[in-house]
Amino acid sequence: MGLIPDFKKIATRSPWLYRINAGSCNGCDVEMATTALIPRYDVERLGCQYCGSPKHADIVLISGPLTVRVKDAVLRMFDEIPEPKVTVAVGVCPISGGIFRESYAVLAPIDQYIPIDVNVPGCPPRPQAIIAGVAKAIEIWRERL
Amino acid sequence: MNFLTIFARNLRQGPQTEAFPLGPAFTPERLRGRIEFKAESCEGCRICERVCPANAIRFAKTPDGMTFDCWHNTCVFCGNCEFYCPTDAIHQTNDWDLTHVNADKFEMVEHGLIPNQKCADCGATALNTAPVIKNAKPPLSDAEYAELRARCPKCRAKYLKNRKVPS
Repeated sequence: MGLIPDFKKIATRSPWLYRINAGSCNGCDVEMATTALIPRYDVERLGCQYCGSPKHADIVLISGPLTVRVKDAVLRMFDEIPEPKVTVAVGVCPISGGIFRESYAVLAPIDQYIPIDVNVPGCPPRPQAIIAGVAKAIEIWRERL
Repeated sequence: MNFLTIFARNLRQGPQTEAFPLGPAFTPERLRGRIEFKAESCEGCRICERVCPANAIRFAKTPDGMTFDCWHNTCVFCGNCEFYCPTDAIHQTNDWDLTHVNADKFEMVEHGLIPNQKCADCGATALNTAPVIKNAKPPLSDAEYAELRARCPKCRAKYLKNRKVPS
């Protein structure tokens, strides 16, 4: 009986991150990689780690304006991520479409298909801004767990 | 022996990681971030709306005057508006932390209003924009500028034409 709250306490320390590229130009993806891999920014101080499989993820970072071709794949992958999940939209593309707004090839804003929790605007956002977004997402995630 | 020098250097300098979520972040002074609009120095030429690649800037005519809106969630921080603004009414600050929860999505707007005024000469309603005085010779004094500003565009042209120029 006493073990269950302890597990919860341990689990809330380390959310795993998962990236979805919904037709991004790769600018935001490079910044996300920078956030995690370069010791200068080091998102792992917050207990986060990038994982390769959507089934292990807790926090999802989505970049790109959701192009028409990639829509089905993104929605299928998003369904595979177990609840509770927190979604972070990185860059202006998933939030509003950015410069691709009102194009026939993109379905932005992405929040009409996927529930988004935190927005990090920028083209691309600074690594520090992504860290701020992840920190905000962790707060929301702890409330949900 | 090389590793010993590296070890000593690391002990002296400490980690290279930025302290950001726990401390202040390094921000360059000229970083292109949040846009700031000063309505009192806007000329009303709307060039920023025209050059904005993401259509983030929108002017609209309302009964009170002309409104300026820049939605930061579609702005790509290219700096075109600041570059083309003839009166430096738009300025990009180095504030980069625009992170927000999705409920506040449509509140990330820089809003400004250029109010209407009654022309001091003819009484017509016109926008209280900053006058174009780049080519005025000799340069206008502060009192002349205020007089010019209180007029409508037609009366401004008349005022500049009838201005006494000391030879």
